[in-house]
Amino acid sequence: MNDKKINQLKNEYMSIPIPAELEFKVKKSLKEGKKAMNKKIYIKRLLATAASAAVIAISFTVGINTNEALAETLSDIPVLGGIVKVLTFKEYKFSEKTYDVDIETPALDGLENKSLQNSLNEKYFNENKELYEQFINDMKSLEENGGGHMGVSSGYVVKTDTDKILSVGRYIVNTVGSSSTTFRYDTIDKKNEILITLPSLFKDESYVDIISSNIKEQMVEQHNKDENKFYWVEGIENELAELFEKISINQSFYISSNGKLIISFDKYEVAPGYMGVVEFEIPTEILKNILVSNEYIY
Amino acid sequence: MRISSKLEKQLEEYVVENKEKHYRIAYSYVKNTDDALDIVQESIFKALISLNTLKNPEFMKTWFYRILVNCSLDCIRKQKKIITLDNEVLYSYIDEVNDTYTDIDLHKALDELPDSYRSIIILRFFEDLKIEEIAEILNENINTIKTRLYKSLDKLRIKMND
Repeated sequence: MNDKKINQLKNEYMSIPIPAELEFKVKKSLKEGKKAMNKKIYIKRLLATAASAAVIAISFTVGINTNEALAETLSDIPVLGGIVKVLTFKEYKFSEKTYDVDIETPALDGLENKSLQNSLNEKYFNENKELYEQFINDMKSLEENGGGHMGVSSGYVVKTDTDKILSVGRYIVNTVGSSSTTFRYDTIDKKNEILITLPSLFKDESYVDIISSNIKEQMVEQHNKDENKFYWVEGIENELAELFEKISINQSFYISSNGKLIISFDKYEVAPGYMGVVEFEIPTEILKNILVSNEYIY
Repeated sequence: MRISSKLEKQLEEYVVENKEKHYRIAYSYVKNTDDALDIVQESIFKALISLNTLKNPEFMKTWFYRILVNCSLDCIRKQKKIITLDNEVLYSYIDEVNDTYTDIDLHKALDELPDSYRSIIILRFFEDLKIEEIAEILNENINTIKTRLYKSLDKLRIKMND
């Protein structure tokens, strides 16, 4: 009799319907929890080493037009060899209570091809203006909802500056609770004054698969050597995060000063947050059959 | 120091495998899908960021249940601010029901138990946990749990053939 009543209760309890979104929510919060967890570790690493690009991006502030020093330290290249150079065009900066903004807009100078120069400069200007306005709006809505900490920091680094090539990387670090970092590169052929896109380097789109499979190999290899190096990729045990499949056709990239193709991923794009922004150098060997020419990459 | 990713993986597997159980427990407190989902999510989040407080992986279940139950109780507390129905009112209501009807709606009776009593019934009979485990989860001593368990059963008009 008693057991019956308990069973009746238990049956009712067991028949509580399970909503379909439960699975999704569980995975989502696992991801968020891991981000938060990694952030703790990430900060510790920030203090310990200054290795990743994100670290460099966060830790220095640059005055107007002083990027010679920057170019010198970040690429092993004589300072601004060519006539083409990068200047800081505009800087938004303020710090108020719990809000921090530091947005630097680069501007290219010295290109003969004015339409290329103008279109890039205009792009930089508009993107940063939008970033700034977005931040002000977010700040207002956050303030209306009780306030909080928020910061955005954006700027640029000259990754490569040789006679032939200029690669400029622009980064955005958003800080709301945890931080996210995105990097966008523009690579210019200084001689011919054209913008180099990833697809323009190759004969056809087969580069997507070739590069992707090489990156996957590199990921697993790095992890096997050092288990702290973790990527969301097949071959490294991890059931939850979405696995890296392939690069996008217009994946972030730049060309290093020694003519190597470097593929870049944003923070959280293919790895936990503590890995920061990650980059892979693609061996030229595997690309030689599909490259249009050896002019940039060798 | 990096928290061993092995433990992290264990927790992941555990919450994925037992998500339905966890959801039912949360639901039995808050009685609505949205809040129950929120509780499950919040518990997982809290569990991950405080994984370093889990000293022994063998206790993952009780450790997680504790987080889950606390999240549920927090949620109810917030709701209570809105509903403002205290236990005394609830009790008088239960007794009235008992006086009037012989066949009491068990489900309703369970819902109307105080939270601390209801937790015990759910964990003991529906989740088949041991008294010791329940004591650990609810942070009470074993005798308190036993006393409350018998009182709850009594309230539900269920006598145990001890």
